Amino acid sequence: MKANILKGLVASTALVATGLVGLTAAHAQDGEKFKIYLSLSYSGNAWQSEAANIVKALAATPPYDTQVELIENISGTDPQAQISAYESMIDDGADAIISFPISSTALNRTIRRGCDEGVLFFMYDGTVTEDCAYNVSFLSAGFGENTAQALVNELGGKGKIFLSRGVPGNSVDQRHTDGAMSVFNKYPGIEIVAEYYSFWDDRTTQQETAKALAAHPQVDGVWAQAGEFGVIQALLDANRPLVPMTGENSAGFRRALADPEMQAKGLRGVSSGSGPAQSGYAFKLAMEILTGQRELEPQNIEYPLPWVPAADVKICEGDSYTDGCNVFPESKVPSSFVSEVLNPVLLPEINVESALNGTPVPGATIQPLPADAVVTANNEPGINCDPCEAAPDMYKLTKVEATVQP
Amino acid sequence: MTQKQDPQTLAQQGDTRGSAKLSRDTISAATVAVLCVLLLLSARLVSPALGSWNQVETVLVLGFFLVVLSYGQGLVILSGGLDLSLPATITLGGILATSWVGATDPGAWYLLPVVLAVCGLVGLVSGIGIVWLRVPPFIMTMAMSIIVASALLGYTDGTPRGSAPDAAVWLMKSTFAGMPTPVSVLIGFVVVGWLFQSRSIWGRYLYAIGTNLDAACIAGVPVVAMQILPYVISAICAGFVGIALVGYSSGATLRMGDDYLLPSIASVVIGGSSILGGRGTNLGTVGGAILLTTLGTIISALGMEFGLRTVIEGSIVLFALLLLREELFQKLRTVWR
Repeated sequence: MKANILKGLVASTALVATGLVGLTAAHAQDGEKFKIYLSLSYSGNAWQSEAANIVKALAATPPYDTQVELIENISGTDPQAQISAYESMIDDGADAIISFPISSTALNRTIRRGCDEGVLFFMYDGTVTEDCAYNVSFLSAGFGENTAQALVNELGGKGKIFLSRGVPGNSVDQRHTDGAMSVFNKYPGIEIVAEYYSFWDDRTTQQETAKALAAHPQVDGVWAQAGEFGVIQALLDANRPLVPMTGENSAGFRRALADPEMQAKGLRGVSSGSGPAQSGYAFKLAMEILTGQRELEPQNIEYPLPWVPAADVKICEGDSYTDGCNVFPESKVPSSFVSEVLNPVLLPEINVESALNGTPVPGATIQPLPADAVVTANNEPGINCDPCEAAPDMYKLTKVEATVQP
Repeated sequence: MTQKQDPQTLAQQGDTRGSAKLSRDTISAATVAVLCVLLLLSARLVSPALGSWNQVETVLVLGFFLVVLSYGQGLVILSGGLDLSLPATITLGGILATSWVGATDPGAWYLLPVVLAVCGLVGLVSGIGIVWLRVPPFIMTMAMSIIVASALLGYTDGTPRGSAPDAAVWLMKSTFAGMPTPVSVLIGFVVVGWLFQSRSIWGRYLYAIGTNLDAACIAGVPVVAMQILPYVISAICAGFVGIALVGYSSGATLRMGDDYLLPSIASVVIGGSSILGGRGTNLGTVGGAILLTTLGTIISALGMEFGLRTVIEGSIVLFALLLLREELFQKLRTVWR
């Protein structure tokens, strides 16, 4: 135990030293690499693997390849397992832990202990309420309210809709739905005829939507969280016309939005929501802080809300998002692929192969993040801070304006 | 107990054990079927759109996966085992179907059977471990499940590639003889499954093994082969479900089988089988699977809190099980006599 604290002290002194002198590769030249842990809670869906793959690809891109020792750990969906994983990482002398947290509160005590020993904690997508950790997340950017308003606009303020939600009892699902309801509740013409949990999964969404369609002969629109491609398939299976809908970033959904045949059947909408690119952004921020290129106190950092209406979907010809394209063709990625994994501004050094295989792009080098990249996020009680006050304009629309009045 | 009976009266009584068994199994299958119809009819109270032929089709298509899966699980349970490797084997079938075969591969006609054979191999390994190495079925199949799932995670790097084979899409999305193809295939599957389990010698062997392994051995049943066989069949069924799921949702995911393990066991038990083996019919299991699917469809149409919905679902499953208890049949039989 004492040895560990000593080690932590030495490491943090070294950090301060490098920070002061501003020598970026001091560590690397000493033959000593930053020890960075990537802690996933679970693996096995496209989102989680893409998020992990781009971090691996970045860590293998020069000059990070000589500066970083990246160790991946998957602890499953149980908070206890992630707590004990964090404990081991702290004891092992981690410089930073990049993590998808399984709970916004359960990990706090361990994170606090790690902070006291000089470990940097970077949470991506999910957040923790412990204020010594950096939260990098789109959660505060208003996915729920913006997509709900876009759907209401498409429907002209009235119609019967389905809500395809995420995982019951999950704070992310609750935040999205609360945001959406803040809009739907304003429109008496909007009637929610079915609400079901789809566990952010295409197949479950498809089956749950099929059940809802059997019970409700008429549906005019669907508000969906991740898994949205299943909604389209269920409508097609039931020989129903497609309807305006909103969802997250699956390649299947984006390609359908751009497909004239689907549009002719009635599909309209917007692709928004959670992007795996947040992990890469968090990792680069952590590296810039470790190498002294950026000074930043622990805080809540907002990842900008992806926003791709049907008219803006453009299929890429190459391996990266250039010339404003934002989805890969079927020959490159399966429909479950989460498109918001690349970001030409924040992560220009990786491409689709990095997202699929975790391989670096040959010849690429790490580009510094734009100086003004960091946007402070709003307080969201119970999500990224506790205790704290919610901003009075928490559900303010940022991406779309109400074109129809209640 | 010690009362002596006149051989004459005994002979006159005749042997009614066979008919009692038959009627018990028939009754439990019939009860499940009646419950299904009742549920569908009462669903009209929930929403007028329910209870229609359209809904029946939805139930049958969604129930397809569970029926096929619980048939394999039913055979394993019948022989006195338990198969926990179904989710991983489903995923194996699905991922091999998308990555080896893909959408328009002309070799699909021989590659899809190869996929099924690979899944069967997983079952074979489980079976060998259980019979020869004497690993308890629970542990052996769980271990296989972890091994296969982890191998798939490594093989795919987390992102399964490729798209659904045309044959799988045809299986789930086309119409055949005026019905959705999966419904026609399902009927064929149930008939073949029934012939195997209830009308073939291998089916009878399984009942014998599940009832009493030693007795079956003495009676000359090839116990080793017949203990391994259900695991192989179960794994092939799971692989087939994987291919069908890929056709249904146009792609494979690594967690595609996760939701099916407990329902597959529940279907078997609701259908009147003994979890200890040796008893049950596949028609009962089919009924159990359809009942569970019907229930899920109706429950999701109720505009209630998710928690309450799940409570109701659990209560109805419990009610169905209590209704099918053997004591109840014994009582009914004595009352009616």
